[in-house]
Amino acid sequence: MEYLLSILVLCSLYVMLSSSFNLIIGYGGLVSVAHPIFFAIGAYVAALSAIHFGLSAVPAVLLGGAVAIVASAAISLPSLRVSGDYLLITSIGFQLGLLQIIKNLEITGGPGGLTNIPSTITGAIRSPAFAAISVVLAAATVLLIRWLMRGPYGRAITAMRDDELAFTALGRNATRIKIVIFALGCGMAGIAGGIYAFFYQYVSPEQFEILQSALILTMVVVGGISTTWGPVVGAVLLLALPQAITFIQMPPNVAGGLQGVLYTLLVLIFMFARPQGIVSAPRTQL
Amino acid sequence: MLDPIILLQIAWTGIAISSYYVLFTIAFSLALKVMQLWNFAQAGLMALAFYAMFFALNRLALPLPLGIAFGVAVTVIAAVALEVFGLRTLRARRSGNLTFFIFTLIVAEFVAYLLMMIFGTEPQTLFPSILSKVHIVMNIAVSNWDLIAVGTTLACVAALWAFLRFHQDGQFMLAVAENAALAELYGISAKRAYLVTMIIVAIISCAGMYLFGSRSGVFPTTPLELLLVAVIATLLGGMGRIFAAGIAAVALGLIQSFSVLVISSQWQTLVLYAFLFVTIIFFPLGFRLPLWLRKAFKPAA
Repeated sequence: MEYLLSILVLCSLYVMLSSSFNLIIGYGGLVSVAHPIFFAIGAYVAALSAIHFGLSAVPAVLLGGAVAIVASAAISLPSLRVSGDYLLITSIGFQLGLLQIIKNLEITGGPGGLTNIPSTITGAIRSPAFAAISVVLAAATVLLIRWLMRGPYGRAITAMRDDELAFTALGRNATRIKIVIFALGCGMAGIAGGIYAFFYQYVSPEQFEILQSALILTMVVVGGISTTWGPVVGAVLLLALPQAITFIQMPPNVAGGLQGVLYTLLVLIFMFARPQGIVSAPRTQL
Repeated sequence: MLDPIILLQIAWTGIAISSYYVLFTIAFSLALKVMQLWNFAQAGLMALAFYAMFFALNRLALPLPLGIAFGVAVTVIAAVALEVFGLRTLRARRSGNLTFFIFTLIVAEFVAYLLMMIFGTEPQTLFPSILSKVHIVMNIAVSNWDLIAVGTTLACVAALWAFLRFHQDGQFMLAVAENAALAELYGISAKRAYLVTMIIVAIISCAGMYLFGSRSGVFPTTPLELLLVAVIATLLGGMGRIFAAGIAAVALGLIQSFSVLVISSQWQTLVLYAFLFVTIIFFPLGFRLPLWLRKAFKPAA
């Protein structure tokens, strides 16, 4: 039961991550691969504020989300000022650079990570409580994005993505919309990171490496880019995959590689064979 | 006060290190110029080049020229497959930039994971020893590797320049880079130009990985980090200016080398990431000399 609840928490967190990433890459058309680093920022900020300042879980998680939003501006402001293409490059640099800093700082625990994150909920209700919180937050994320995209702001986002020139010619500020979308998506990832830190009570830099970028991208592309439910389907399906690999009992380096190969291969297969993903959007053209 | 010999030594080491940066940069910049493609799949080709050479030299025990030839062959075949089955299909579908980005990045990651499965996650070098004979020239230590690296890079850059300037395929590549649709109207095959570009990218990547792999340990994910330097240099040199990007790569190598004077080695790679941000904020269209300086160097008409 404990194991299943743990999987449920992980599934919910990845639904949050993939849905928020879909908001950025799918709905917004902004190419960034640094989503895991905002997950990391949320996790580390929440963990460190709880360890060093004794902050309780809710403000710590919210702080993690807020810092992720501020950090997102550090990427989006310089890169989107020039062109959308630069966002991808800046995001790669930001992810690799920040991971390098995390690995070398004493306060973040270096490559070994942070282990002494306080437990906020104890006893038999711990896992069910975390599972309930995570499921509610995942549902809230999906519904919030759905609500956003069906409203006037969502129509503006779609118009901006489909024809930025025409959108700008109408007097709308495309850069501002991009920065807002990016911040919103990164903030959601930061909140997911905070919950992750409090549930697992352990964070290390290797959990946020480039494999995570491939994983989240796979969830979105395989599930269905620019759809509400695609990333949810993708997250649930792809989290089942490593569980299956765990049962095969392979050496860790082979299992890690195999997992990455499967994720990236799935993206490639879907890109060419079914670009619209499992759940297709009304007008998806990859 | 720093000893001038030490400064010269750091400068020479920086130039030698920048040799492979230059090769990765001109390959990346060439694909961007001709194909208008941020070719992150180059990292996959670089990884493939290194591990093919590693396999040929260490597992098959082939002599060095054959080992290099094997690496070049494998990389060229992969580059051609990438162009014919991947990029060409996406172009035919009129896919957007987003799709090309995802595709090239995922190809790079796919290759890295595949190699991780086959060769493990331990760092590998092309040769059992990475030490090379050192000569003292004017009190500066110059290793054989340094000379090979600088010589190979100069030869590759000169060959690329000559190819683009004098060979028909090179001229067609530049024409396609300027305006692919117009070039096709004049009977130039854009498909062929793209294919030739990918082959050149593969060959130059192989040369760069030979130099890097004979001096440092390579992980399957190392090429993606190396490619970031190429991206920064390409931005700094200005998109579409292949050889200016190469010069920017030398500058980055020198800056990285001289940074040992002010920061510890564990933070050295951060200098490059800092440069990425500085470039994007202050030189988004590339670094150019002031107009008066350019005029001063411009030959009289």
